[in-house]
Amino acid sequence: MQIEARRYGFADLIRLPLQAAPAAAVLVGLNAVLAGIVPTIQVLVTADFIDTALGILQGSLERSQIYSSLFAIILLIAYSWVTGALANLTNVKLNLGLEKNYQTAVMDKRARLQYQHIENPETWDLIQRVTSQPEAQLASGYNLLISLTAGILRIGGILGILIAEVWWAALVILSFSIPLFALAVKSGRASYQASKETAKLRRKSNYLATILTSRETVDERTLFGYSDYINELWHERYETARKIEHQVQKKWFIRTKAGGVITALISVLIVLVLLNPVFTGSLSVGLFMSLVGAAFNLVQMMSWGLSRSVDQLARYREYLKDLTEFAGLDESESGQVMPAGTAPQFRTLEFRNVSFKYPGTEKYVLRNLSFRMEAGRHYAFVGVNGSGKTTITKLIAGLYENFTGEILLNGRSIRSYHPSELKAMLSIVYQDFAKYYISVKDNIALGAVNRINRYEDWEITQALNQVGLAAAVNKLPQGINTPLGKIKPDGQDISGGEWQRIAMARAIINPAPLRILDEPTAALDPISESELYQEFERISCGKTTIFISHRLGSTKLADEIFVIGSGRVLEQGTHQELMALNGIYAQMYESQRSWYS
Amino acid sequence: MVLASCPLYFIAVCVIGVIHGFSWGLNTYATQLFFDSVASAVSTKSGLTMVYISLAVLGTVTIGSQVLNGVHNFMVNSLSNRMPGHLGKYIHQKAARVEPVLYESPDLLDDINKAQQGAINSLVLLVVIVSLFTFYLPYFAFMAWYLYRLKPVLVISLVFIFIPVMITQLIRGAVHARLEDESAPLRREVDYYLRCICDREYFKETRLLGAYRFFKELYLTALKAMHQKKWTVELKTNLLELGMKMLTLAGYFGVLYLLFAALMNGEISIGSFAAVFASIELMFNIMEEIISSHIGRLTQNLGTVRNFIRFLDLPERSGSMERVSFTDGIKFTNVCFSYPGAEKNAVEQINLTIKPGETIAIVGENGAGKSTLVKLLMGLYLPTEGTVEIGGVDSRELSLNSVYQGITGVFQKYQRYQLTLKENVEISDLKAQDQARLSAAAAKADLELCPETFPQGFETMLSREFDGVDLSGGQWQRVALARGFYRVHDLIVLDEPTAAIDPLEETRIYEKFAELSQDKTAVIVTHRLGSAKIADRIVVMDQGRIVEVGTHEQLIQERGKYAQMYQAQAQWYVS
Repeated sequence: MQIEARRYGFADLIRLPLQAAPAAAVLVGLNAVLAGIVPTIQVLVTADFIDTALGILQGSLERSQIYSSLFAIILLIAYSWVTGALANLTNVKLNLGLEKNYQTAVMDKRARLQYQHIENPETWDLIQRVTSQPEAQLASGYNLLISLTAGILRIGGILGILIAEVWWAALVILSFSIPLFALAVKSGRASYQASKETAKLRRKSNYLATILTSRETVDERTLFGYSDYINELWHERYETARKIEHQVQKKWFIRTKAGGVITALISVLIVLVLLNPVFTGSLSVGLFMSLVGAAFNLVQMMSWGLSRSVDQLARYREYLKDLTEFAGLDESESGQVMPAGTAPQFRTLEFRNVSFKYPGTEKYVLRNLSFRMEAGRHYAFVGVNGSGKTTITKLIAGLYENFTGEILLNGRSIRSYHPSELKAMLSIVYQDFAKYYISVKDNIALGAVNRINRYEDWEITQALNQVGLAAAVNKLPQGINTPLGKIKPDGQDISGGEWQRIAMARAIINPAPLRILDEPTAALDPISESELYQEFERISCGKTTIFISHRLGSTKLADEIFVIGSGRVLEQGTHQELMALNGIYAQMYESQRSWYS
Repeated sequence: MVLASCPLYFIAVCVIGVIHGFSWGLNTYATQLFFDSVASAVSTKSGLTMVYISLAVLGTVTIGSQVLNGVHNFMVNSLSNRMPGHLGKYIHQKAARVEPVLYESPDLLDDINKAQQGAINSLVLLVVIVSLFTFYLPYFAFMAWYLYRLKPVLVISLVFIFIPVMITQLIRGAVHARLEDESAPLRREVDYYLRCICDREYFKETRLLGAYRFFKELYLTALKAMHQKKWTVELKTNLLELGMKMLTLAGYFGVLYLLFAALMNGEISIGSFAAVFASIELMFNIMEEIISSHIGRLTQNLGTVRNFIRFLDLPERSGSMERVSFTDGIKFTNVCFSYPGAEKNAVEQINLTIKPGETIAIVGENGAGKSTLVKLLMGLYLPTEGTVEIGGVDSRELSLNSVYQGITGVFQKYQRYQLTLKENVEISDLKAQDQARLSAAAAKADLELCPETFPQGFETMLSREFDGVDLSGGQWQRVALARGFYRVHDLIVLDEPTAAIDPLEETRIYEKFAELSQDKTAVIVTHRLGSAKIADRIVVMDQGRIVEVGTHEQLIQERGKYAQMYQAQAQWYVS
């Protein structure tokens, strides 16, 4: 199944489960419907039993006549017990089916999203809301609707018997109960709104609790001794939120129990209405008793069930609204394609007056940026943090397309390339490179995903050698087949520096002609960074490389250095040229060199 | 603890609980009276008043027990909301006194993380126990009395109900927990592969690599394995439950037969029969509620309660001496230190004296033990062997209040508090909130309060999540520096806080720092050897040991580790 872009409504709480797990959904539904009908039958059977028993006691009936109705009672009880366990199983099946189909469909949709939605805090929040355990949300929504139906059937059944016996009684009861329940439903929405408001307060107090107990803050917390003060602040916020919640809950309980009291009153009303027919003999004592019993049983069910259902319906309306919005988010073709089979030729890359701001923000990150790169040379971007260096790489990678100006790859607009061609064109190691918790081999082979299953061990070992990681990997229990991280039971942890080298190896094995290193070494000291960059450049001989750094030592060797500031190229040239220019680059370089003279 | 925090409320909850329990039993009794009165009225065609009276009683009892049900549940609920406030405060106080080094121990970290949950669960435990005694016990006691009065043998029915339900639930709990443990690793795998495709951490790279299909396949394989496992688990437990239910059902029928026989023999009235018949189901449900949801959850949560108790037992700083002055500086004598659970010492055989007013630089490669040494000299960690004397007193003997007095620092991983700018700076010394000092600290850290970045000045909230602003890395850096300067200090420690900033900025910070720490004792940790030159003495560390100490000139002349590292770095800047 697929998540289509359209409006989602309550009907989808039924439709989607039916699509994802038809058999289980039908069984769950059927079982719920039967569970709604059984109480009505039970009323009739019990009535029959009591009447027969009374008849026997009064001597008008034979004792043996009771057994058929006793048997019917036993059968009904047995039925509801057995189906209880089976209903559990069908529900599990439903959950599994939803997980397999619906959750996977949601995942597919996420993978197709335009990259901007991932970086934009608002859409990201939306995505998080919709996709956290989507199968459970849908399953419980489905169950809610089904159990509401069952509840209506149950009430309807009892009303039906009433109508059959004394039709006007049913009318009296209906005319009393409908307005009362409408009231209960209305106040349900109000309390849902209120509880949403306290959520923010709660988040604030929870944040303070994190400061007070987390591992990250322990050094400052201990040294600065701020626990007492922050603790008071936390308690204050906690209490504020709690008091508001207290009020909300008070209303909720009152409403809930008002529902119970109303149902109790209606039950008494039923009894009063039925008393006369019993005395005149138009209603049997047995039916009277079992009806009264059923009515009073409804009290508990209605009081809790109704309030909960109303609250939940409000929640699902929000969920469906979110789902509609999520399904409507723009997609990008790039999401699910692999790099093109043969690596294309790289000749030139040119930015012409490129300006760019992130969607949803006002500030231009790049302003009329222009530069040109040619195959086989080594380039470097330097500049202070926030000058837009990383943004440039995102544009080259095609992650954002809403720039103005032109980006030309081999003289052709980057927009005209198919995503698979772009993917085959370049490899990037980002500062926040991914640490995949899979085997060492797969981690590296991902660099050329087209032949991921056709890699020979020696190729991987060669890459490991090139980044100086072979010895460390040999020490792992299963060599290059050792799973990394804590996901697999025999997974091994490696250090941050080793992860960096894994990421480098992944880039090396990538056949793309253009390689970009975007400060994956920020955590290293400047010397290790410089050495690593130098090594990488040596390995990348014949390819085109772009190094990005805020530290100058490592970029010195580039054929051409671009100094980026406020979204533009401020200076460009070789190290010698830039030093001779005596501008910003020279100033930055001197400031670092001054420590060593 | 609960009693101490709100005793009256707690007692009220108990009392209401008892009444609530009785009211449910009473309900059955009222139903019987009503049915009997109707039956007799119908057969004798008289006694209508009795019918109305008993209907009124039944109505009142039902409504009464509904109201009690609401009040009782509400009070329990409100009590359980009130308690985390008290418990949380207590936990935070304890967390403040726990030895910082314990946060480095994976085992204890688990206790600390789960303490909060454990505290809440121990509360749940209490609520369950209390309601067992104040609500469920009175209800069953009433029912037992009622049934006994009807016909003594009916009391057995309670046992019939109790035992099979209990056995079922206990077995189910055990089997389910065991099988759940087996499928948990598979679940982690599925979730992880999902993250590899969708999570922010991986999204960009997975997309650029074109690795979507690779991970989807892993995901589908793991999902399939997990579903198989889960289905077997559920099938087993549910079939088991079904079997046990059959047993219970037999018990049910036994009770039904007893009732039926008693009815036929005229020992109980038709009204009692109908009333008891209606209440049997209720009793089953309540019993199942007690055992499966209360006791079942309880056993599941017992683990975290243990975490909580262990957390309360974690060792605290026990020293009692007050440090009076800092004039004696800091003295390390044969100090060794190892992290909990680690086999190797992180620092070894450290002997070092830092005189007041001195500026010390600590240099060395990643993992040489620089940060550990700094934490020892601030008193955050206590040595495993040897002594660290701060102001002439052994850091082990110092009381928690005085050990950090006069010491401030900017850590490598300084915190970005989602609080206001003012709070972010003043958090280093919240007792003395001082506007003049706040402005001074901001100025020292070159923190410009331009309205573009800080629209509400010092009151600007530094968190997008809480409707404030986002700062850049460099701005946060300055906030952290201002925080360090704000605290009144004799000793300031700067632990490599410059990793993420550009060279111009870095140079500025070190110069600023040198200038500001002229009359203070200062310790800088740095990987940039050039910047160590501003120090009076340089301490060179390698593999946990101090290998060289001296001024820049001395160390260069010695041609040791320092000179070697210096040359390696300098070559990048010599044209």
